[in-house]
Amino acid sequence: MALSKIDVANMVTGATPVANGGTGQTTFAAAGLAKRPNAKPIIINGDMAVAQRATSVTSHNAVSYTTVDRFKTVCETGTYTVIQESLTSGAAYLAGFKNALRLDTTTAEATAGSAGEQTTIEQRIEGFNLQAFKKGTSSAEKYTLAFWVKASKTGSNLQVNLRDVDNTRQIGGTYSISSADTWEHKVINFAADTTGAFDDNNANSLTIEWFLDGGGNYSGGAVPTAWEASSNADRNVTNFDLAGNTANDWAITGVQLEVGEFSSTTIPPFQFEDFGDNLARCQRYYFRNNAVDNIPFAAGVCNGTTNARTVLYYPQTMRAAPSLDKSGAGHFKVQIGGSVHDTTNTAFYYPNNDQALLYVDVSSGLTDGKGCLVIDDGGGSRYLEGSAEL
Amino acid sequence: MIKTVKKLNIDGAFSNSYLLTLSNGKTLYVPKAEDNTDYQNILAWVAEGNTIAEAD
Repeated sequence: MALSKIDVANMVTGATPVANGGTGQTTFAAAGLAKRPNAKPIIINGDMAVAQRATSVTSHNAVSYTTVDRFKTVCETGTYTVIQESLTSGAAYLAGFKNALRLDTTTAEATAGSAGEQTTIEQRIEGFNLQAFKKGTSSAEKYTLAFWVKASKTGSNLQVNLRDVDNTRQIGGTYSISSADTWEHKVINFAADTTGAFDDNNANSLTIEWFLDGGGNYSGGAVPTAWEASSNADRNVTNFDLAGNTANDWAITGVQLEVGEFSSTTIPPFQFEDFGDNLARCQRYYFRNNAVDNIPFAAGVCNGTTNARTVLYYPQTMRAAPSLDKSGAGHFKVQIGGSVHDTTNTAFYYPNNDQALLYVDVSSGLTDGKGCLVIDDGGGSRYLEGSAEL
Repeated sequence: MIKTVKKLNIDGAFSNSYLLTLSNGKTLYVPKAEDNTDYQNILAWVAEGNTIAEAD
């Protein structure tokens, strides 16, 4: 007997295939994979599992990446402890999430210090990863954003915006915190946009921003339920005022962005990635090479008696040539044969997306033309890092 | 906030990177790459009238 139809959707999900048209039929749409079968999640590190920089940062009042990878903490109102929180209970934990990104207010600012200050959590997505939305075409797709959220106080009309950086457009959605200190799952739909295509390149095309606090510049308008030309007054219409009290905190995990319109019952399951895959995707934007106990960072050749020229390979091809940094200049040694020599200076040159030259100086003792390694000096908190973040 | 930017040379030639010093004292080695956001910040800083220092 020949098979006339094969239920491919069930193969994709791993469920037992059933006869197409028979009872219990599963379709691509029902599996939530109609638009991007077999694709990686659009959101990187949505389960907050990877935190290369740190698991906790205190006194944060700046615009930077702090703890969990790919989530930018834009904290201009108040001061916060930013944590990669380990979950041990609650609905998000039971849904499989062991980590969350959490902001604890440590210095309150009852009213934003200036009208232009904001506190938001962002993920910035490069255009290469957004083409499935077909934005700016007659076939443009809708967006569904889902996430788990928990806060120390209830609130309604908290705003999350999609901001099209290429075309200076935006759309907003809202959610409520119905119960304090309780994980809640939110599913928010956003309209398709037939105006303004995402650039097909490695630059930031879409910023997702969860607005948590803001000055007067960001309110006064209306939540844009349809795509519009960007307007600051529409980005934080109802202020959650996270910075208003040191008792306040807000946490998020399980972030997913899907192509198409889904509800809380039809949203595809969160795609838990293998930790190694997740880390590799994060390292397209940032890597940190921590070392202790004389681990080699780079290999190369001695150039005279006081200088070595070595190659530092990044763990992944990066989005762009990264900015590079290191711990102290004296935190490294040059190993040549059986001898090691303390470094007096280290510097990076000719960086590209895959590697950079790491030059190190020592006071004396190298042999011109001999191979060498750059190793750490065995102290704590030695590192090299590169950032090609958006 | 950028404090200073200096070209970095090797063997007398520009090494395609800059030493960026921020107002908080932190330093970064920034490539001359238009898709690097720190280099974009340097370009904006120069557009404001600031000058990149020549290499030592």
